[in-house]
Amino acid sequence: MRAASTSGPESRITDNGSRITGNGSRIPYFPGCALKDQAWAFEESARAAMERLGYELAELPRWNCCGTVYSLATDDLMRHLGPVRNLVRVQELGETRLVTLCAMCYNTLARSARFVEADPERLERINAFMDEEEDFRGGVEVLHLLQLLRDEIGFEAIEAKVKRPLSGLKVAPYYGCMLLRPREVGIDAPDSPGVLEALLSALGAEPVDFPQKAECCGAYQTVSNPEIARERVQGIVSAARRAGAELIATSCPLCQFNLETHQVMTNGDQARHPSPVTRHGIPVLYFTQLLALALGVPEDKLGFAGLRFDPRLLLSERELV
Amino acid sequence: MAEERLTNASRVTRHALRLSVREPDFVAKVEELSGENLYACYQCGKCAAGCLFADHMDFLPNQVLRLVQLSDEAVLSSRAPWVCASCLACQVRCPKGVDIAKVMEALRLLSLRKGETGLLWREIPPGVPQIALVGATRKLTP
Repeated sequence: MRAASTSGPESRITDNGSRITGNGSRIPYFPGCALKDQAWAFEESARAAMERLGYELAELPRWNCCGTVYSLATDDLMRHLGPVRNLVRVQELGETRLVTLCAMCYNTLARSARFVEADPERLERINAFMDEEEDFRGGVEVLHLLQLLRDEIGFEAIEAKVKRPLSGLKVAPYYGCMLLRPREVGIDAPDSPGVLEALLSALGAEPVDFPQKAECCGAYQTVSNPEIARERVQGIVSAARRAGAELIATSCPLCQFNLETHQVMTNGDQARHPSPVTRHGIPVLYFTQLLALALGVPEDKLGFAGLRFDPRLLLSERELV
Repeated sequence: MAEERLTNASRVTRHALRLSVREPDFVAKVEELSGENLYACYQCGKCAAGCLFADHMDFLPNQVLRLVQLSDEAVLSSRAPWVCASCLACQVRCPKGVDIAKVMEALRLLSLRKGETGLLWREIPPGVPQIALVGATRKLTP
């Protein structure tokens, strides 16, 4: 892990986003806990894909928990310390941007950044509490990778770099909550997003529209009320299946876990809505796995083996692996 | 649940402003904790219509808000705030800009800060990732 202090503004791609420099844009990147554990394929595939697009995701030094869920109370300043410490790490690098992959990390970090910057008194109290840190001065922009892909690199430029078009692959883009809500940090329209569809189209895949794409998967209720999460997931998955989806693509490790786990009936291992191709269930992938696949990253870097429903049978039928 | 909700619905619509159950600063407390103007709600029910968890609630989100407006602390024993997953579907749809998820959080906190818990550890299913555990404990435990 090396501090990403070298990438000044001059090394970045600016403005129109339709051009990609071949050599090295480095951007500080926040992984979060899930990507170092069950969602390792998310990180690995994203790094490999971004390398092909001329970017290095430089892991933030000394990062800590993002807080996981954003505190909705007015008086809970303590809950913002975790996120703000991460923003201080970015500031120490002399950087102004932080890119995230996990939708929950994105939401918590982006909201906390806005929360402390909205009120100088809050920021002052937090800085006074973290007296071992340098003061956070604000001005760090938290980005989700999809924003970087859409707004800076551009989907046309990505399309031009596709080596293995995902032709005919029917993918249901599943956004969940944290990429879209609340509006202030949402990367797209909260009720009718289209950024994943646009990316999937650029990769040659066929995005499948289904009304549940921005509905909650049950989130952490999977711990307290698993039957509610199961009900949610089965509604989402059956809608995606009915719309003709062969795969589901997501950006949230908790959605990914819920969508995989609760597809399966409690008694036994039989999925309620079996996919005709895999016979077990509909594979739930991270969007970066499809991005990396289309950009020509070798299959062993994509982490398909770690998924509960292996998409490789389907992908090999389409001669994609 | 459906029958219970019907009973509760008539209770909310025919609510008597009984002074004995009112605590004068209950509304103020919820407003302070949530940062929301509770009286902005005009009971259009859009939050309840779009709530993905309403099926599992004893009081619908708009009814919860109504009970808080009426300063009825019975709302503190409602199941609704504990079933809410802060997915913010209501928040983006409220025509009056009331962040109902924040009101639900305030109601949870009023219980949690008295030491109550909304999570029974024996219920935790195996193999759950840490983001789910941290999320649930931060939202549902003191």
